[in-house]
Amino acid sequence: MLKRGRGIALSWYGTGYGNGFPDYSVATVELAENGEILLRVGATEVGQGSKTIMPQVCAEVLGIHSDQVHMICEDTREFLDSGTAAASRQTYNTGNAVLKASESFKKALLEEARLYLKLNSTAGLEMADQKIWLPIFPSRKTTFAELASHLKSEGRVLAVTDSFTAQTIGMNPETGEGVPYWPYTFNAYGTEVEVDTETGRVQVLQAWCVQDVGRAINPDLVEGQIDGGFVMGLGYALYEDLGVKDGVIKNNKFAKYIIPTAMDIPTIHKYIVEDPENTAPYGAKGIGEPTMVPVAPAILNAIYDAIGIRIFELPATPDVVLKAIVADREAKAKAAVAEGADANG
Amino acid sequence: MSTLKSVGQRIQRKDARAKLTGTALYPQDIEMENCVYGATVRSEIPHGYFTLDLTEAEKAPGVIRIFTAADVTGHNVHGVLFKDHEVLCARKVRRVGDPIAFVVAETQAQADDACALVKVSYEALPAVFDPKEAMKEGAPQVHDGKDNLIYHYKCRRGDVTKGFADSAVVIEREYVSPFVDHVFLQPESGLAYMEEDKVIVVASTQYPHFDQIEVAEAIGWELEQVVILNPVVGGAFGGREDISMQIHLALATIALGRPVKTTMAREESFYAHSKRHPVFMRLKVGAAEDGKLLALEAELHGDTGAYASWAINVMRKAGVHITGPYEIENVFVDSYSVYTNNPYAGAMRGFGATQVPVAYEQHMDILAEALGMTPYEIRMKNLFRKGSVTANGQVLTESVPLETCLEILNQAMNGGSEAAGLDAASSGTKAVPGSDSAAVQERSVTEHA
Repeated sequence: MLKRGRGIALSWYGTGYGNGFPDYSVATVELAENGEILLRVGATEVGQGSKTIMPQVCAEVLGIHSDQVHMICEDTREFLDSGTAAASRQTYNTGNAVLKASESFKKALLEEARLYLKLNSTAGLEMADQKIWLPIFPSRKTTFAELASHLKSEGRVLAVTDSFTAQTIGMNPETGEGVPYWPYTFNAYGTEVEVDTETGRVQVLQAWCVQDVGRAINPDLVEGQIDGGFVMGLGYALYEDLGVKDGVIKNNKFAKYIIPTAMDIPTIHKYIVEDPENTAPYGAKGIGEPTMVPVAPAILNAIYDAIGIRIFELPATPDVVLKAIVADREAKAKAAVAEGADANG
Repeated sequence: MSTLKSVGQRIQRKDARAKLTGTALYPQDIEMENCVYGATVRSEIPHGYFTLDLTEAEKAPGVIRIFTAADVTGHNVHGVLFKDHEVLCARKVRRVGDPIAFVVAETQAQADDACALVKVSYEALPAVFDPKEAMKEGAPQVHDGKDNLIYHYKCRRGDVTKGFADSAVVIEREYVSPFVDHVFLQPESGLAYMEEDKVIVVASTQYPHFDQIEVAEAIGWELEQVVILNPVVGGAFGGREDISMQIHLALATIALGRPVKTTMAREESFYAHSKRHPVFMRLKVGAAEDGKLLALEAELHGDTGAYASWAINVMRKAGVHITGPYEIENVFVDSYSVYTNNPYAGAMRGFGATQVPVAYEQHMDILAEALGMTPYEIRMKNLFRKGSVTANGQVLTESVPLETCLEILNQAMNGGSEAAGLDAASSGTKAVPGSDSAAVQERSVTEHA
């Protein structure tokens, strides 16, 4: 029999190294010879989108298009250490360093423009679309490219570095009192599943993912993370197990270590909730890990809703679910017999 | 009203075109002239001493040199927290898959073939595969002179005994999360070469500057003489935080003066990087008649396998997050990280916070059913809001839109009236978020199916 059920799960996730460990990020913003921007920052692009969103933050500050910001994160000689691309920390932590470095760079570039335009002050100077001008006397104007070639003629490079360190407090080892992480990202996910009681197979039919992001720097990438996090969580809930026995990984190939395919992925309804965090770059918090966290329990709770059986050990593979169904059926039959015997007695 | 021009825009991913069209260069795609190839000999037993006989392998076709622990020119260790991994094991292996020799030959196939000719004689030691067993007195010691228990997180808040005594319902259950792999699409591959006095290591990594430190210390060179190139990463999810073959490649290219490359098959990749920590979770939660959570007690045993990697941070994160996003006055948590002779566990997406909701969110539903409430109601009763205090005494001062998230979820799943009562998740109220519930912006809550 095919039985349907729905389940929900909430989760929270504290980003960053945490527990008082100095979570430090640094970025360098540099004017390239052609007037475009080099953003030197050690936020490895692991697929999460750092090479897209870090330029967006920088571009926002400088009033340019993010295509004109070129991020460099590949060669250890070309950027400073900004920590690991993990702990969902790059958007918040390194994003803040990029924000601060971009703001400092903007000030420095305006000062270069002041000198170049022979003004007494940077007051009133406007910056947008790679141009800098004085609205009260618009002929006093220059461009990023012009300033870049001027700097080159003087043998100078304009590069500004700034950093950010997150705020956490080491916990008391006896009580746990402290600030282990900050900020936290929240979410509420739900699923609808169909359980085949003859085979134990579980299929997820629909998913609803409501994700707090602080602010979405790039909604497409947030949705991509939700898709990816959901898929990974689905595999964790229903398929994936290395089958480690006596230290040996039994399921060491894709014939045995089963991961979701496109056929297993339901319609995923995605909702982005923005509630900007003051200390974050434009309010944005990390979401790379959070998007996976509530998926498994949302599925397990839906399985219970469908068949009235709880799975306490992952993954809920067909054999595990079927065994639980059979055990439940036998237990109920036994109880019924016992009840019958009592009644007869 | 947002006045932002770049932030909030759906800018196309900068890396999308190259990855989709196949022009992105992953380490495996990079070939160099005069290159030689390496393959790793790995232990086949989980715990024991060993000796090596290289005679046959050294005579195999194309073999140039076989590197062992004796060839490590700096410190024969690495590790993100503790330096407990050996670059190449010297005399003892602690898990199946420990690297014990690195064979370099003219082709990858020759290197792979020669690996099979390396004779490893083992003297097996008793092994332990269960973290609770490993914590017992007299259990096999995974690292000589070191306790298997490497971390114990404690959270003590309020008085759980009183909390349970005051509870209308107390539920206790055990949950288990298994060994899981990241299965990033691109298995480990890398190459190293010399550029004047510098060694260049090309590898996919999450943290190039940390790899630089680990390589420099292991080869005994100055930091500035080591360069990490991280061209394109084919997925990571935490599995590229620990060193895999970076140091082997650096040692080999320095010794041979030729570029050295290695690429692992999927089967080897499973042994080459960390796993998600299996966590054994015992959770006991008490609630009042109205669903208010009064006490939580949890015991979490995390199996870090043969090496610590991020074990302390992972089980700390598990211990902090086991309360769920709920206000609870009385909390008592013990979370342990323990060595065993299993594959080593480390960082993986969610990092301890992914395992624990398997327990705490199932528990919420079990409690709700026992109290005759819906899953929605019990969560709404207890969830974190602005001003909530966590079990660690941390005040959540802003950006806590969890109530909004749950309301939106409830609306979305239970939009039509016909759904009411059909399922456990959808029978809650249908309130929309109030105007004071976080600054949810006009355009900010959008559905994208």
